[in-house]
Amino acid sequence: MFFALMGILIGAIIGFLLPFTYNTTYSLYISVAILACLDSVFGGIKANLEKNFDINIFISGFFGNAILAAFLAYIGDRLGVPLYYAAIFTFGGRLFENFAAIRRLLLFKKRTKKDELDLN
Amino acid sequence: MKSKNPKIILMLFSILIGVIMSTQMKLKVESYAPVTLRSIQVAKNEINMVNDEVTNMKEMIKVKEDELKMLENIAKGDDSIIDILSQELKSNKIKSGHTALEGPGIIIKMYDNAENQVIGMNINYDVIHDVDILNILNDLTVAGAEAISINGQRVLSISEIKCGGPIIKVNGKSLGTPFIIKAIGDPKLLNASINAPGTYGDTLKNVYQIGIESTLEDKILIPEYSGRFNFKYAKPLGEGD
Repeated sequence: MFFALMGILIGAIIGFLLPFTYNTTYSLYISVAILACLDSVFGGIKANLEKNFDINIFISGFFGNAILAAFLAYIGDRLGVPLYYAAIFTFGGRLFENFAAIRRLLLFKKRTKKDELDLN
Repeated sequence: MKSKNPKIILMLFSILIGVIMSTQMKLKVESYAPVTLRSIQVAKNEINMVNDEVTNMKEMIKVKEDELKMLENIAKGDDSIIDILSQELKSNKIKSGHTALEGPGIIIKMYDNAENQVIGMNINYDVIHDVDILNILNDLTVAGAEAISINGQRVLSISEIKCGGPIIKVNGKSLGTPFIIKAIGDPKLLNASINAPGTYGDTLKNVYQIGIESTLEDKILIPEYSGRFNFKYAKPLGEGD
């Protein structure tokens, strides 16, 4: 959890320092893709806490979700239907689900430790 | 691959997300989420308006350049100033209505209700009034009529349309029914402004049974204004351009 937050912070600093920018027209696609990436990272954290983290699943999900989300947004723009809502709802909902699972895992971990201490 | 610490991998990808996010923030997009069809339409309209302005400006530049050229020719002595002034006089006469004009347009014939049966309680409903003519003229002007005449009297901005009992007075001349209104402009548009449902002309025709016949013409002739402009009170304000 904390290493992910740290990573995002470090990345943000690097990004602000780098002079690299892209065309404003792609910003919608990129923002949807960021949401998908965030969801993947949360999924990864959850899997890590559950001790069944698989790097291939994580990387394919990270890039696959991002590309699919951006593609959906693009197609929606072409067709005049806001298809990116699909990506926002799916990934946004899953983000909170993953976060809830992470919270439970972390809290239970602490509680079990406490119980062990109490038993001792 | 599995031997690698998942925390490090997660961190690396988080850094990637952070980089993309900060780049996105740097763009300072004001509102990127709802690119609705309406906002696209609004933007398109704005672009069209600006483009129109640009073309207008270009045309203006062209006109001014032509003027400049003309002045240079005068200075060189190629064109005589009399020719240019008489040309200008001609165009000013056209604008002020002192020239007979011809062009496509419509001819409207209006006459009082010819039926024996009286509509309503009052005979006034069956005859044409000055207000009816005024409204028809206004409809024609809205539809883009460039020159209008009633029974051979040119209607200009200073022409009055006055009730005179069974007749109306235009430019001080008494006119009786049938009124023949001629207008130069886009014939279809002018016709629509009189005959389309809901217009004043349509109401006159179908509710009050007043005769309105309009014919589209390829070539109609509108006479010049016969009176004179005598401005007694109005004075021009400086040299304007």
